[in-house]
Amino acid sequence: MQFQTFGAATVRLWRFGQGRPLLYLHGFEGHPGDAPYLRRLAETRLVIAPEHPGFGESDGLAAMHDITDQALHFRRVIRSLGVRRIDVVGHCLGGMFAAELAAISPHLVRRLVLVNSYGLWDDVNPLPDAFSLPPPAFAAAKWAKPEAAPAAPDDPMTRQRNLGSATKFLWPIPDRGLTRRLPFIEAPTLVLHGAEDGLIPPAYGQRLASLIPNAAFQAIEGAAHMPMIEAPEAFDHALGSFLGAEPEFRGR
Amino acid sequence: MKFHWFAEASYPKLPADFRAKKISSWVDTPKSLHDPHVVGEMCRMFIRLMQQADRDGFDGLAVNEHHQTPFAVTPSPNLLAAALAHTTQRAAILIIGDSLALYNPPTRVAEEMAWLDCLSGGRVIAGFVFGTPMDSVFAYGIPPAELRDRFEEARQLILKSWAEQEPFAFNGKYTKLRYVNLWPKPIQPKFPIWVPGSGSVETWDLCIENDYCYGHLSFSGLHAAKPLVDAWWEYCDMRGADTNPHRMAFTQLICCANTDAEAERLYSDGVKYFYRNRYTNPAYEAPPGYRSSKSVQAIMGHRKIAESKLSAEDRARAASGEMSFWEYDKHGFIIAGTPERVRQRLREMCTDLRIGQLIACLHQGDLPEEVAVENTRLVGQEVIPGLRDLWAEHEDRWTPAATHLPLAKAAE
Repeated sequence: MQFQTFGAATVRLWRFGQGRPLLYLHGFEGHPGDAPYLRRLAETRLVIAPEHPGFGESDGLAAMHDITDQALHFRRVIRSLGVRRIDVVGHCLGGMFAAELAAISPHLVRRLVLVNSYGLWDDVNPLPDAFSLPPPAFAAAKWAKPEAAPAAPDDPMTRQRNLGSATKFLWPIPDRGLTRRLPFIEAPTLVLHGAEDGLIPPAYGQRLASLIPNAAFQAIEGAAHMPMIEAPEAFDHALGSFLGAEPEFRGR
Repeated sequence: MKFHWFAEASYPKLPADFRAKKISSWVDTPKSLHDPHVVGEMCRMFIRLMQQADRDGFDGLAVNEHHQTPFAVTPSPNLLAAALAHTTQRAAILIIGDSLALYNPPTRVAEEMAWLDCLSGGRVIAGFVFGTPMDSVFAYGIPPAELRDRFEEARQLILKSWAEQEPFAFNGKYTKLRYVNLWPKPIQPKFPIWVPGSGSVETWDLCIENDYCYGHLSFSGLHAAKPLVDAWWEYCDMRGADTNPHRMAFTQLICCANTDAEAERLYSDGVKYFYRNRYTNPAYEAPPGYRSSKSVQAIMGHRKIAESKLSAEDRARAASGEMSFWEYDKHGFIIAGTPERVRQRLREMCTDLRIGQLIACLHQGDLPEEVAVENTRLVGQEVIPGLRDLWAEHEDRWTPAATHLPLAKAAE
């Protein structure tokens, strides 16, 4: 891990492995750090996983006036790597960011993977309020098997800070206009979604996939909001076969 | 020493099992539990009581803003303030306050306060609040990550709109206006400004840097408040700020009667109703990002100190309406008894906490109007006059000059 400055934001950035680069954008609860699923990805790839401004020990949230600033922040991150295009995997809030980035800067994204992503709102099937669910209900929504869930990695103060920063883009409704921009995504896209996610119902993943021009939806059974932890083999397999495939992939 | 009449405009007819069912009294309380006719009667009662307070010698009439709650049915304090500005003569109209981040554009606050200042003859105290999390975050949907930033931008815009003599453009992050040109402008050349808080260090800085009056508006009484209020004054000392007692406001429930036994008989039910029916879903009280890490740590520290005098169990009993009337009194949640006793205990408390602006809550819960009428009369006529000497040597810059006139003069 190292600190790196991008414009007004100085953020922590984890780098693992080597090979073709992949940008991983974390979810609203915080950066997973040295997580096994990032290590597994790094067996064949160079994984770049920055912490979002305002999360953990990273600053710069005040400079993110809106979602455009946030997407352009990641453009800076990609430019700093000296690569022309990059695969982007985003989870949850990071998925919302990844989709925005791919819509605003389609030339930078080779392939896009959105895992249990925020960004949409459906009046008929409203999302639960993740910020006010009592801890047991939150765990029941987040995990297919809450009793087997790993302990939360962050101390309570850091968690509060992370969720507080996430409200910038997720509160009161996690819709910052992504629906209008999804048609601008050019990268072949895989929308992965834990089939039992109670924080973001899978119908949201299906809707994302239907609005992105070249996208496929894949449910991961036996997992909820964290398929990379609850169904690691299915997750790795889906990612590996999609990211390893040739760019001619047609989802639909 | 100044005394301001206040009551949370609590809906008085919640079902008896409201608390037992653990229904949140804020944000998503079922609307089926209230009758708008009862709200109308209640509002008329509070207006009558505050008109009486104006006649009985109170220095200010306090109105506040809360949303989606039976605890205080006052979504717009400015509306209640308008009713009072028109029908009272002397007391300050203490708007404590408008939730700056919730008005769009925030010039709405500047206009309405200026208009109220005109209507009242220069009697408005401008209170700026962040709003409780239930109000600002949950009912009005402001992301906690933006709340302080929005408040600060709104505050700058409002202050400039009062001060500036020529039209100006305002290019903010959240508000963009090509022409800001207030009609009417306020009577007072400079409003007294109050900002209530619950111990956030950032709010203390705001008050110190701008010479605002800081309000500690809790209903948990002396024992719970003492560490926080002491910390505020220490912080003022540390920053070399003015420690004039008039720059600090404090809320206190008061239950005054001719005898102590009568106080218990008259007020016990209302006090318990007040505390019992304030239960709020804990998640609505502490959303992530509402307080900075620095403030969360400071507040936890103060709470630890407070627990030496008021245990967590006692705090919980108080909050569920299970304390006896005199236990509430002992811990300072209420100050009850004869005018003599109330006067003496207020003197001790205001001296101990260095309070120059007392916001006296003279109606609680479902208290009958006639009891609040007597409470207002006793406190106004028999308690306040005996406390006027307190802090008299300190200048009060935090109430409007128009309210410093003697009563007879103001009525002319």
